[in-house]
Amino acid sequence: MLKDFAEVVRYRELLLNLVIRDLKVRYKSSVLGFFWSLTNPLLQVATITIVFKFIMKLTIPNYSAYVLCAFLPWTFFQMSVLDSATSVLFHGHMVKKTYFPREILPASIVLSNLVHFILALGIFFIYLLILGTPILITWLLLPLIIFIQLLLNMGVAFFVSCLNVFYNDIKYVATVVLSLLFYLTPIIYLAEQIVYSGRVPAAYKPLVIGIYTVNPLSFLITAYRKLLLPGYNAAGIHDIPLNYWYLALAAATSLLIFLAGYAFFNSRKWYFAEQV
Amino acid sequence: MEAIAVQNLHKTFRVSHERTSSLKALALSFRRARYEDVHALNGVSFSVDAGETVAVVGKNGSGKSTLLGVMSKVYRPTSGKVVMNGRVSGLLELGAGFHPDLTGIENVYLDGSILGLSRREIRKRFDEIVSFAEIEQFIDAPLRTYSSGMVMRLGFSVAVQVDPDILLVDEVLAVGDEGFQQKCYGKVREFQRLGKTIVFVSHDLKAVRDVATRAIWLDSGDIRADSDVGTVLAAYLSYSVGEGNNSVAP
Repeated sequence: MLKDFAEVVRYRELLLNLVIRDLKVRYKSSVLGFFWSLTNPLLQVATITIVFKFIMKLTIPNYSAYVLCAFLPWTFFQMSVLDSATSVLFHGHMVKKTYFPREILPASIVLSNLVHFILALGIFFIYLLILGTPILITWLLLPLIIFIQLLLNMGVAFFVSCLNVFYNDIKYVATVVLSLLFYLTPIIYLAEQIVYSGRVPAAYKPLVIGIYTVNPLSFLITAYRKLLLPGYNAAGIHDIPLNYWYLALAAATSLLIFLAGYAFFNSRKWYFAEQV
Repeated sequence: MEAIAVQNLHKTFRVSHERTSSLKALALSFRRARYEDVHALNGVSFSVDAGETVAVVGKNGSGKSTLLGVMSKVYRPTSGKVVMNGRVSGLLELGAGFHPDLTGIENVYLDGSILGLSRREIRKRFDEIVSFAEIEQFIDAPLRTYSSGMVMRLGFSVAVQVDPDILLVDEVLAVGDEGFQQKCYGKVREFQRLGKTIVFVSHDLKAVRDVATRAIWLDSGDIRADSDVGTVLAAYLSYSVGEGNNSVAP
């Protein structure tokens, strides 16, 4: 695996050029460019805020910021997985005709989504300034969380992109799983609501908490919220501070998924040319 | 010195009769075998000395492109060994990394990096690439506005900038009009003067005669002849004519 990684380092210019190409193609064909691809999350969050604030009467101040803070890393994860699923097939002509480390294809997709995510975070911080939420020392930990999520996204992207070469319907499976995962991850609701909500029947509580615990994305997205936004105290929901042990667990799971995904990808990558 | 050593090389492809592979196919696969093994190479052995120019000839489906694919590491051998001494550049297709929405400039950088050139190397040779391709005035236009001839010329110009010890070429020399082809062969002769090792696949037997110093005739994955160009081509042509194969015009 180290040898494979060294080869990627040797081909880093190709990786960089593919990331640049991806961003250029994405932003070139539209006049609004970058802002165009931000309108989707912004519209989603506006809708969610209206639903929660005015229809469901949730009283947490600046709830939209908490939703957006989770929605942006979620989008980063979702787009990394969906875009990378077809990455090898899309570059089939390159795979068939040239030698290069194949993992560069899904990796470039994840990295260009990372750039996009960081740009979106910039907009998010401007939004925080407008709302007037306090500047926190824990903002400094943001790069660490982003790095952990990068490992997770890469690992899943390796699995999905590799499997999709051999089984064409993996991308549809991924779409379905992602749409379920969206509701199983605390994005439109808060992590505390899982523990404190009296609405979850006692019989289901271990299952719900179990799902939350095995999903590293839950901890990561909760960590984004805890690090970037102040605690909340509203009717029935008491803020639980960030538990760094859970974050460490998420980091370990993410690393494991990354290593397993890369090993899986490497064991099959030299058969792609025969398959695409 | 030996630049290339190919030892008892086998390559078998598993060809699926289904159009696409899917989970459904996997679930049903225990019911009957739906694959067929195609033996593209059956124990090919040869070696090439540094500075030789070897042409690989043979009819369609004889394993020529597979051989070049294995040598440029696009395919893994099923068994056997390929040893390449030196920096290898495989030109199996021109402009493999081109994207239609990007400009000529952007595509030069992208395609160059696929061939293993660094940005700095490309920047240094950029003017040469553009003038060789003869598309100076369109280089900042998107590639989709190019004619197919222009795309091929640009692809070739980037490809020849790679400075390999061993060059593997699959049928890509015959691009552009007569004038551009002359430039292409000029480039090949320059590589030969510099002592590079070249292995190329071609159906253009005139080009083989003009350029190659040795020829290998592949037939159904086996080497039928491996000798000087005149001997191999004579054998290959008499065999082709005997078989009534009109596709190989001399």
